[in-house]
Amino acid sequence: MNWNSPLVQAGLTMLGINIAFVVVLMIVAYTVLAERRILALIQGRLGPNRVGYGGVLQPFADLLKFILKEEVIPDQATKFFYLLAPIIAITAALMTIIVYPFGPTVNLPFFGPVKLVIAQFDIALLYVLGMTSVGVYGIMLAGWASNSKYSLMGGLRASAQMISYELSLGLSLVGVVLMSGTLDLYSVVELQTNRWEFSPVLNFFLQPLSWNIFLQPLGFIIYLISAIAETNRVPFDLPEAETELVAGFHTEYSALKFALFFMAEYVNMFTVSVLATTLFLGGWNGPGVATFPVLGVFYFLGKIIFFLFLYIWLRGTLPRFRFDQLMNFGWTFLLPAAILNIIVSATVAYFYY
Amino acid sequence: MLELTSVFLFMLFGGMAVGCALSMIVQRNPLYSAISLVGVFVSLACLYVTLAAPFIAAVQVIVYAGAIMVLVVFVIMLLNVETEVRRPLRLRYLIPVAAGLSFVLIAQVFFMLFFVGPVSSAPSNVGLTASIGAGLFTEYILPFEITSVLILMAIVGAMTLARRAADIPLAARSADSSGAAGSPFTDPINDSRISGSRPGLTEIVGREMAARAIERLESRTGRGQGEET
Repeated sequence: MNWNSPLVQAGLTMLGINIAFVVVLMIVAYTVLAERRILALIQGRLGPNRVGYGGVLQPFADLLKFILKEEVIPDQATKFFYLLAPIIAITAALMTIIVYPFGPTVNLPFFGPVKLVIAQFDIALLYVLGMTSVGVYGIMLAGWASNSKYSLMGGLRASAQMISYELSLGLSLVGVVLMSGTLDLYSVVELQTNRWEFSPVLNFFLQPLSWNIFLQPLGFIIYLISAIAETNRVPFDLPEAETELVAGFHTEYSALKFALFFMAEYVNMFTVSVLATTLFLGGWNGPGVATFPVLGVFYFLGKIIFFLFLYIWLRGTLPRFRFDQLMNFGWTFLLPAAILNIIVSATVAYFYY
Repeated sequence: MLELTSVFLFMLFGGMAVGCALSMIVQRNPLYSAISLVGVFVSLACLYVTLAAPFIAAVQVIVYAGAIMVLVVFVIMLLNVETEVRRPLRLRYLIPVAAGLSFVLIAQVFFMLFFVGPVSSAPSNVGLTASIGAGLFTEYILPFEITSVLILMAIVGAMTLARRAADIPLAARSADSSGAAGSPFTDPINDSRISGSRPGLTEIVGREMAARAIERLESRTGRGQGEET
């Protein structure tokens, strides 16, 4: 069998995409469980601990419940868009996961050296940003098609918020792109392997100093804040502020359609965490990856879990913004800060690279 | 086999683009048209990818589908144009014009196919990020700068217009239609105790929606009562 034939490569990529989808959805399921348990811990409760040992089967019980519930479609809803909206949301969320490198080049038996990334292409970062911006349609259409005032207000809020914070999100990444000189995420991660040359021992322990976060601290903070706003999480979860808007844009959604929105939110959470890991925290880099490449996968997962924990932690800690505060913060603080970061990075890159 | 695959992909995405474009024209509901246009942009982006121009594809999705059309859909949602807009009768003559123009377009395509022929399919780096960036900042720097100034002008113009629209007080607007003191609807958004110094997006949106709601209610109830008294 010729492994280099394009059709075989396409088949392998297809297989990889499917595996990645399953893995990501499993991670998402357990993020939901972790969120409920950790929030309970923060608030002095127990959380779901009945299904399976300590609640490990809870996600599957929830899924079963979602599938078996009655599907309700509001009478006055615009049916086509009402059904299309959750599909757009989950598709746009899942499509980005294929470009992230989750490990260095490893030697597999029978295959030889394999890059642990599903699709490596020139414009991976732009692809991620494009998919993120298409995801807005899911929320907007859900709000509009439900034909309910709460949904409409929630959808409007969500789309206004996402459009606003998308700008600072994109601009905060420009610094990293300037430092790396490429949009290909695999190369961005590789560049964070050995930026500085110390003695071999110091190179081992000081490997984290090569990560982009030390070159782009401002960019990282701006990215983190706008990523939380982009995924509509606390403290920026105005679109689903339950005290004002019932549940925001998915008020009228039930059963599996609601589950799709719910999953899309957590997949988005996961993907922005992965992007933060890839661009700022060195992806799969870490002490010892040079000798044991497989260790990189665990570093990668560990960093993502750190970000997911941060999300949950913030949810347990911070109160919600008011909407005008949110907009003012985005436009009058984050955006100018991101532009300042670009100017400084461009100047530095011009003189030192 | 590869040839066949690329033909299949072209048929798929080209067909999607044409179908979405037709749907955009045929639909009467503006939101349906807008979403169809998004479909056109996305299928065009897919076509660009198959033509080895990934950067243009990404920009197509980010700029057109992700930014411009989002704003269009946003405005349509805000105005809530649900009633079907009937095509005015005086624009009927546009149908033969459209047919003629499409005929010209098809003739052009055939002309290209028969007299110019296909360009060589040798791999080029035209669509890659680095080559586009280099071209943009060396050879085409002047058009690039002029376009930037143009966009800046558009931004300043939009801000000026938005400021002017936001400065018109709501009371003055509703005072035209009904009696000045007779309106039973209070205006919480324009209340100086609540609203801040500068109008934000929510405030403008809220004002606009409130003004529309008041107008609608007044045209239903207020005006009738006004005529009676």
